Amino acid sequence: MASIMSRNLLRASSRCLHTTSYKCADKGMPLPIEHATGLERRELEAIAAGNENPFDMRVIKRVAGATKDSPTEVPSAFEKRIMGCVCEEGATSINWMWLYRGQPKRCECGHWFTLVKSNPV
Amino acid sequence: MSLHSNHPYHLVEKSPWPLIASVSALMMVAGLVKWFHDFKVSLFLFGVVSILLVSAQWWRDTVREAAFQGLHTLKVAQGMRWGMVLFIVSELLFFFSFFWAYFHSSLSPTSEIGAQWPPASINGFNPFQIPLLNTAILLASGVTVTWAHHAILENEHSQSVQGLLATVLLGGYFTFLQAFEYSESAFSIGDSVYGATFFVATGFHGLHVIIGSTFLCVNLWRLVQGHFSSAHHNGVEAAIWYWHFVDVVWLFLYVSIYWWGY
Repeated sequence: MASIMSRNLLRASSRCLHTTSYKCADKGMPLPIEHATGLERRELEAIAAGNENPFDMRVIKRVAGATKDSPTEVPSAFEKRIMGCVCEEGATSINWMWLYRGQPKRCECGHWFTLVKSNPV
Repeated sequence: MSLHSNHPYHLVEKSPWPLIASVSALMMVAGLVKWFHDFKVSLFLFGVVSILLVSAQWWRDTVREAAFQGLHTLKVAQGMRWGMVLFIVSELLFFFSFFWAYFHSSLSPTSEIGAQWPPASINGFNPFQIPLLNTAILLASGVTVTWAHHAILENEHSQSVQGLLATVLLGGYFTFLQAFEYSESAFSIGDSVYGATFFVATGFHGLHVIIGSTFLCVNLWRLVQGHFSSAHHNGVEAAIWYWHFVDVVWLFLYVSIYWWGY
């Protein structure tokens, strides 16, 4: 469903923008990305620019053997973020914790995490 | 810009509509009871008008949040689509119960109605007259609505308007014909279990046709206003799903009640 929407969008944007825009205007409807506004538009623009994960929602694979010196980096647009560590494959509970900018944190399983600045959508 | 969150979800602003909607629904059903017992229809009518006003304003606010504020991200749109699917499933179960009631009474008709179906002295509608025309109308409307959808996907604005308009007109024609049938009927809802099952099942179906036609009409207006793009038109898709559902229910009604039950 959502994939159909983004597939349509990508199909439209893969052609020359001017040509597609002209063809759309000829038939009376704007390009989806031109039609959108607000947060929806910013999300579509981020995806069109190549960022498939604009809200940093995907699961992040931990850097192997993360230590205090090379922690797994967790992106956030703000000063703090909740994150959960799945300590081992098939774990039945997630170890949730707050991460604060500038304070790397160690999960009980030994992995270190740090908050990294990323831009909001 | 000042942001407090960076997620795709829509946390809606405070709104009076949910509370007023539930109070209106309560007034409507309480009004039904008052109508049945005391023959006074005012509370029911007040409830119906109230529900209509709240629905219009609640959905108007949703349109504003989506089309004008751009708050309907991909995740939000997915949620809306799932919501519509689940709602249609609940409606399916609703109609299932009426079909159950119909088959319960018609598969082994009791001696009180003459151990036959239709019951003794009941003349049903000839399935090969207006009911068959109605079937053709709804099937045709399924074609026109699919045409409209494909037109939207291809950015063909004019064709999509034509397709939706044709669908709305066909829906109106169905409603008109069914109302005519009702007025010409040889039996009423009180005429044994036949009348009860017939009018409750076809009556609720007719109500759903009216609701579906209204939904399509609103989408036609929104299409003309330019609220939709080829990649984002969930209102249209929801209306189309609902319309196909209404069509399928009619096919079951036609085959079971009109044709098999004749």
